[in-house]
Amino acid sequence: MIEQIKFATLRLLEAPSFLPRVDRWMRRARHLLARSSRAMAHAPFVCLFVAVALLVPISVKAEDKQTIYFFNQEANINNFASLKLEFDTYFSGLGGYQLQPFNDSDIFEKTVALKKDGVLLLSSWHYKKLKEQLSLKAVLVGVLNGKTTQKKVLSAKKVADTQGIRAMKVASAGSKEYTRNILEEMFGSQGNEFAIMPVPKDIDALMAVGFGMATAALTSENSLSNLENINLKQYQQLKQIGKSGEKFLMIAAIPEDTEAGNAPLLGMMVKMGATTEGENKLRMLGLQGFRALSATEKEALSK
Amino acid sequence: MKTIFEKFACLTKSIGSTSAIGLLVFCLFACLGVSEAAEETRNILILNSSMATEKYALAQAEFKARFKGANFVDIDLAKEEFDEAYVKKIIREKKPDVIYCIGSKAYVLAHEIAKENTMIFSMAINWQRLPMGENTYGISNELSTGMQLMTFSYFFPKLKKIGVLYSKTYNMEWLKNTEKDAQDMGFEIIAKPVKSPNKLESALEELLPKVDALWLISDPVVLSDQESTLSIFQKSDAMKKPVFAYNEAFSNYGALLVIEADIPTIGEQISSMALDILANKKIDERVQAPAGSHLILNMKKVKEYGIELNGEAIGSANRIIK
Repeated sequence: MIEQIKFATLRLLEAPSFLPRVDRWMRRARHLLARSSRAMAHAPFVCLFVAVALLVPISVKAEDKQTIYFFNQEANINNFASLKLEFDTYFSGLGGYQLQPFNDSDIFEKTVALKKDGVLLLSSWHYKKLKEQLSLKAVLVGVLNGKTTQKKVLSAKKVADTQGIRAMKVASAGSKEYTRNILEEMFGSQGNEFAIMPVPKDIDALMAVGFGMATAALTSENSLSNLENINLKQYQQLKQIGKSGEKFLMIAAIPEDTEAGNAPLLGMMVKMGATTEGENKLRMLGLQGFRALSATEKEALSK
Repeated sequence: MKTIFEKFACLTKSIGSTSAIGLLVFCLFACLGVSEAAEETRNILILNSSMATEKYALAQAEFKARFKGANFVDIDLAKEEFDEAYVKKIIREKKPDVIYCIGSKAYVLAHEIAKENTMIFSMAINWQRLPMGENTYGISNELSTGMQLMTFSYFFPKLKKIGVLYSKTYNMEWLKNTEKDAQDMGFEIIAKPVKSPNKLESALEELLPKVDALWLISDPVVLSDQESTLSIFQKSDAMKKPVFAYNEAFSNYGALLVIEADIPTIGEQISSMALDILANKKIDERVQAPAGSHLILNMKKVKEYGIELNGEAIGSANRIIK
């Protein structure tokens, strides 16, 4: 029930003109109530009328724009308001597009399953999890510093033995499920024994180790190398105690048979990295650009 | 399984069937008891200084979302009906395993009336000034200075001379520790003491020309009223010197970067701490610093002052002001 309410609320908030519309309808309802002496008897009907009137234009509005549905398992940062504002402002000059960021994987999955349209922007791990269920097709991959993949590394001040792992608290910007999955890849079933402390960003995870709030940090290799420039002393204190295989950066996927309809949006996404303004927006997602996936990369993602 | 039955048959022969069955039943109940104890529901009293304060309400929600299966009793101390006598009564009746205090007011009250109880706290400004009981644990409201400096460096690697206005009464010790951290990261802290609020203007005029940026810290002599805050921002702006600040409120004045503790992360830390306490695990540090930051970046000022920004850091900002 709570999930349904959350989902319904999210749909309502999707409409940019939602709040002014509520205000307008409330004023009209109050006006009606004031005019009629029998208003109290009609109150439930007025409420029902307002609710129906609100929902109808919203569903029309949401279909007006092509949407990028965004959810990132690899970061807990709450910057959704800024992301939406920045991307939608950028898109406003390029066509009828919008970004819809999510902070809850369940709601994200339910929304994309229901809508079956637009472009999904998600981690490669999440894509692999959903591709069969939602009949998705990966089309683009994110690019950072000329690379489309990254490795995850576990860094700590001390190298731990089996006993030590059990006592380790791992700071990670990823969701608990994602983090556990990477740790299992690194350490097998022992990966389950780490305590996980979610933090908003990779830099927080590294600082948490440096300042003693966590014993290890799971970050991208790129974030760890950035630490060398920010705080050399802390960087030198850290040892890599685990490393994952190469992981794709963010994937743009579409529901099957929607290629033609999504072609303009995908084309625009590829062009974003070519302009400073577009790149600055993509930086908010930790990327510099997008490019089409090669046949080999698609093959790797299908496994 | 066969071996267990064989052993049970032997036991039946030696002590008699009635006694053996009795023993078996006893063992079964004992096992059930153990599993029930493991899933024992805990009583947690949440004392909130004021649910009307958005951050306090968020802290409570984040804690409860992560602490599943407990019996919660929530008291909003901002409501008149919840006075000291009422809180005492609740503690007597509910016998909470842990009291979670949100904000200083809640903590001070809990410490006065229930200092023998296990207490955890968060959102208490300058926790060092609070009395600490033997069973008190918490997450501080302030990020460590090292974390703040690293964040400055991550966003603005070229700003190395950082100015600080402080009063010796409140921040002498803080300054000493910060200078050490700053040195490790290649910063130069240029500090100027302010004896009284009326010396602020002259201190600012002397300090600003020597620094790349000003770091605003929580100091009642420096930030004595709204006028002094306004004056700091106006003078810094006139000289195109960016200001780093510690509270969202300063973003309205034009702070270049605001660094605060991230409340959901505090919720994660405090709930994990509570679980460890209830499981009788050793707590290494009784008061921990927040492990996550919430950042507000003012891009308008970045452009206006022509400051070099590390592009990769943009993704770490929670809010961007344009």
